[in-house]
Amino acid sequence: MSTYTIPVGPLHVALEEPMYFRVQVEGETVVGLDITAGFVHRGMESLALQRNIYQNITLTERLCSLCSNNHPFTYCMAIEKIAGIKVPERGEYLRVIADEIKRIASNLFNAGILAHIIGFDSLFMHVMEIREIVQDTKETIYGNRMDLAANTIGGVKYNLSNEKIKYMMKQMDSLKKPLEEIVDIYMNNKLVRARTEGVGILPKEEAIRYGVVGPVARGSGVNNDVRVKSPYAAYDKIKVNVNVETGCDVRARAIVRLRDIQEAINIIQQCLKKLPDGPTCIDYLPEIPAGEAVAKSEAPRGELIYYLRTNGSDIPERLKWRVPTYMNWEALNVMMPGNKVSDIPLIISSIDPCISCTER
Amino acid sequence: MERNIQKDFKEKLTQAVGEGFSLRWETDSKGVVTGWCRLNDHSQITNVALIVSNLGGRVITITAYKTKDAQQRDIHEIAYHFDLDGCTCTVTIEIPRDSGKVNSITPIFKGADWTERELQELYDIKVVGHPNPKRLFLDETIDEGIMNKLIPLSLAMNGATSKTLWEKVFAATSKEVDNK
Repeated sequence: MSTYTIPVGPLHVALEEPMYFRVQVEGETVVGLDITAGFVHRGMESLALQRNIYQNITLTERLCSLCSNNHPFTYCMAIEKIAGIKVPERGEYLRVIADEIKRIASNLFNAGILAHIIGFDSLFMHVMEIREIVQDTKETIYGNRMDLAANTIGGVKYNLSNEKIKYMMKQMDSLKKPLEEIVDIYMNNKLVRARTEGVGILPKEEAIRYGVVGPVARGSGVNNDVRVKSPYAAYDKIKVNVNVETGCDVRARAIVRLRDIQEAINIIQQCLKKLPDGPTCIDYLPEIPAGEAVAKSEAPRGELIYYLRTNGSDIPERLKWRVPTYMNWEALNVMMPGNKVSDIPLIISSIDPCISCTER
Repeated sequence: MERNIQKDFKEKLTQAVGEGFSLRWETDSKGVVTGWCRLNDHSQITNVALIVSNLGGRVITITAYKTKDAQQRDIHEIAYHFDLDGCTCTVTIEIPRDSGKVNSITPIFKGADWTERELQELYDIKVVGHPNPKRLFLDETIDEGIMNKLIPLSLAMNGATSKTLWEKVFAATSKEVDNK
């Protein structure tokens, strides 16, 4: 059978951001893949070296909207390590709450897109409707639906009154039942299973070889959840159950994400119950000495790392970050071959790609 | 468990490079251990990658940057961030000024592929032995080593596009004038 090359992208209905795939096919079966990136590269690492340490909090939050809490969060942690700043306990809990809320919204978005790609649009709308509960919560607590601006050096910029804690508890409770229903659909519905089971296989050993992270790794049985492996903020004080699946396919990755949402609700409720009193942030403007630090966090898509070098001035000497999606792209070379052309968008979406994060 | 992997790493590193490195471990208030290692000889990085690989670790990312030496001259350094069962160990090497080359660790860790290609295009550091050393993000028209110099954003974004556009507009309007 002769081989053809199909261009997918850079713009495609199932991907909101541009990435160009040259897919080699034999008949209807994918046999090879070539990825071309760089359509929205903004040189943000270079920009970060022209802005001061405080301006970079805002800059890193503008990297992408879905993981927009993890970036300033991890960046602030790197600075705090260099300057030896201890974040007040209440601040640490509030950081976890902000992060987990973003995780729920981000994973629900991907779950919705999955339903849309397989043509189950009523499910897509149902998921997005549930997501609105989270969006409303974010807007009420932080004043914004996407960029929360929760983090600053030495703590957080928001606080929760008793009234808001009650409201948040109620919102989290109201998510539980509809979420159980959609998890049931994703796991048991015949149409969803037919499209996702055995599709886009990434075996465990390949997941390790490619160094994939987050739900992509955990869907292939690799547990490298930063929240448990190297705890930060208040994660050492609360119980986090890591969701690992062994299906290695699109379905396994989707289930991990859905279970992560349920776990995030638990984590938020634990934090709200245990929220200690006291300040939310340090009360002085710190000086940042020369030094280097790495900080890691578990973004919705997996491990995010920031490496920061300072030289005593207020401009960083080097700020480098590696986003979770960055590690997951190349694994598509393993997931794609052997699958049908019609599954291409589905497999790409199953790594929950964040192109604005990848290309910075 | 974690303590062992750090001890193993140090032992194997000593076997491989003798005294040619410095290594310290830091533990934060959450009990998370971070390692900082510096190699005297940059070519040993492949040995370090092999050690990490044998210990079941992985490469998280690689950072290249410019810094100053004692004489305030620009030097390039590369920091390799490895993961050893949750412990991040950063191994730093200095790039020799004369050759500007470093050995690729992609044959050992597939996960280093993109990040090595990126540091090559941003800092003009030649990565020797990379299986697929083509450009990753930046257009071919942008010089390699773009992070080594400050350039205007319009140029980085390849402002030639708008120039071409206006040339077309002018060409089209002048034709209209000719036709009249």
